[in-house]
Amino acid sequence: MTLEQCYGAMGADYGDVFGRLRSERLIQKFVLKFLDDKSYELLCSSLESGNNEDAFRAAHTIKGMCQNLGFTVLARSSSALTEALRNGPTPEAGQLFEQVKADYALTVSSIEAYKAGLEA
Amino acid sequence: MKKEKILIADDSEMNRSLLSDMLSEQYDIVEAEDGVEAVSILRSSCSELSLLLLDIMMPNMDGFGVLEAMNQNGWIQDLPVIIISSESGSAERAFSLGVTDFIARPFDPEIVRRRVVNTMLLYAKQKRLISIVEDQVYEKERQSDLMIDILSHVMEFRNGESGLHILHVRNLTDLLLSCLVRKTDRYKLTMSDISLISTASALHDIGKMGIDEKILNKPGKLTDEEFAIMKTHSAIGANMISDLPVHQQEQLVKTAYEICRWHHERYDGRGYPDGLKGDEIPISAQVVSLADVYDALTSERVYKPPFSHEEAVEMIVGGKCGAFNPLLLECLTENIERFRSALAEDPLEEAKRSKIRSISEETLKNEGGGVSKRTLKLLDRERVKNSFYATMTESIQFEYGVNPPMMNFSVWGAKKLGVDEIIMDPLNNEKLLGIFGSGTREMLSDGVRSTSPDNPELKLDLPLKIEGEPRWCRIVIRSLWSDDAEPQFEGAMGIVQDIHDAHQKMQELEKKAARDQLTGLLNRESARQQIELKMLDHSDGNFALAIIDIDDFKKANDVYGHMFGDEVLKFVAAKLRDSIRQTDISGRYGGEEFLMFLEYKTDIEKTVDRIRRSICGTYEHYNVSVTVGVALSCELGRDYEKLLHAADEALYYGKRNGKAQYCFYNDSMKDILTDET
Repeated sequence: MTLEQCYGAMGADYGDVFGRLRSERLIQKFVLKFLDDKSYELLCSSLESGNNEDAFRAAHTIKGMCQNLGFTVLARSSSALTEALRNGPTPEAGQLFEQVKADYALTVSSIEAYKAGLEA
Repeated sequence: MKKEKILIADDSEMNRSLLSDMLSEQYDIVEAEDGVEAVSILRSSCSELSLLLLDIMMPNMDGFGVLEAMNQNGWIQDLPVIIISSESGSAERAFSLGVTDFIARPFDPEIVRRRVVNTMLLYAKQKRLISIVEDQVYEKERQSDLMIDILSHVMEFRNGESGLHILHVRNLTDLLLSCLVRKTDRYKLTMSDISLISTASALHDIGKMGIDEKILNKPGKLTDEEFAIMKTHSAIGANMISDLPVHQQEQLVKTAYEICRWHHERYDGRGYPDGLKGDEIPISAQVVSLADVYDALTSERVYKPPFSHEEAVEMIVGGKCGAFNPLLLECLTENIERFRSALAEDPLEEAKRSKIRSISEETLKNEGGGVSKRTLKLLDRERVKNSFYATMTESIQFEYGVNPPMMNFSVWGAKKLGVDEIIMDPLNNEKLLGIFGSGTREMLSDGVRSTSPDNPELKLDLPLKIEGEPRWCRIVIRSLWSDDAEPQFEGAMGIVQDIHDAHQKMQELEKKAARDQLTGLLNRESARQQIELKMLDHSDGNFALAIIDIDDFKKANDVYGHMFGDEVLKFVAAKLRDSIRQTDISGRYGGEEFLMFLEYKTDIEKTVDRIRRSICGTYEHYNVSVTVGVALSCELGRDYEKLLHAADEALYYGKRNGKAQYCFYNDSMKDILTDET
């Protein structure tokens, strides 16, 4: 699997990120790094415990990373969730979180698949 | 060439390394995980940094918090900041807090790199320009000051005033204005306004050039007619200035006009020449007017001796010398000491000193390297030295800053205490309070408050909890103050030394000195101290103080000898010690009298009875019996002397009524001792 295919699998635009970062090596490094980031765990746990402030920050961080890496789909849903949490919890946050969950799972599974291909 | 250093503050590790990857080839990178860490790095090494890349959303302290701290500490002037954030809505607030640039996410690395380079170049250029301009302004000011000094000296010569009046008025004007801006922002005065007004104040009496010398220097009182002529000097001065063919747009000239024309106006509107009232009179003229009157009062004149500072202030405030802005009068009365010293200082000496200062500055300038670079290098070395010693000496060192409230511990110190190296809001930090104990906080802050810029050191011996164990430590603190005319407390640095072993030894010695040699019980004085301490310590609780007296002790001495008597005393002491709890206090009051101090909850009578019985017994066939007099704090209050006296009276009562018993004090025994004697 190529990096471009990996982006395709998660519904993201490789052309956009390559246009900005201009180095496949750099993009690869940070795409793999995305797997180690703990913001998603923080998002889940703080939503569960009702800590809106931490949840907002975590959603915000995910959004930022996705924007930098051109993960368009997850960037869009995490951005929507960020806004829903910005001024305290809102009713639509729950549904938006479900969307983030799904997009995150897709993104991570795409990267995992790409990573497995590298190691093979 | 040494690489320039960039600080990246972002909570996401990935974002940091993305930026760091892009920039690390050309620059040294320092990273901070959140705002707190960023401020700590800025505090310790702001001058080494060339740029800060700052995220807005961060835990503990966000980017705005960092910017606010940078503003409060003045770092924002020296260090350019670029915000990198997707919160484009916050750009405006960030710019108003002094950031140079704002880059939105997702960013293009090439653009980031370009903007970083540009920002740093601009700043370097700006810094160079600022220093050139500063030098030129300084030179220009120096020359115009010189011209004004010459002019004013000529005027004084003609007016027959002491050669110092103009210098005094200038110093006082400067002082009054600095006090005034602290009090109110009503007049919107900047530092350069203050310096301008002070400079222009030298010209306040320039109009006296146009007054006949005979009137000007007349030793006696002026006639009404002469006084009317004298009064024209303010308008004449103003005309001289407004007739200047050039420079009419200069602020200095405008200010000088105000001062000349209106420095004899009164706040109540009854002055001359225009009868302006209140703040119709420009603040420059108001201040110079007060300074003029004050100096005239405290100086000697042909027609009067000098008044003391207190007399002068009293006359001014009492309205005997005109009417002034109440705010200015407050400035005068609230800063008495500073006014006194402003005039006590020999201005000629001061002038000499400032000349030397500028000569040395020139010398430094000519050395080529420039002052700032040399100073920075020295500072740098100091910092390296400090951190080297801090790591080598295994001592707990700390720095505390007020704004924002923050404590930094040396690496070794933090490890030893088991706390973080950086602690925000340390006065409310649970962990620190646990180590220092809650009472210590007040003691520390009281202690620090007792220091001053002239006397900044403080030494405290305290038990701290280190690694779970209480250990006696000596804390030596030096408070830090701002350079303002009225220094503000900015923080402190200090060192904590473990003096536990030495302290233990001292206590051991003290303990020995506190004990009765024969019986090993506390002596009278230390028993008193401990009892008083105990009564202070316990907020609620009932106490009983008892005096225990051995019955017929004289007989034991007489019949069996003093050696035997001593043994009886030891016997009773041992019995007493064994019959009370460890938290109770026992002591030898003197002779065959002992002290006992108990805390009790219920039925003290039973307890006293038990103790009395257990002390009695036979020692070497000799029957030992004691009488006990008891006084209770719930009846008499927590007053050692009172309790002791009452117990003594109860004891006496018991002795007189057959001995070998205990007796509780009650009011019927009052004055039993004094009545008998």
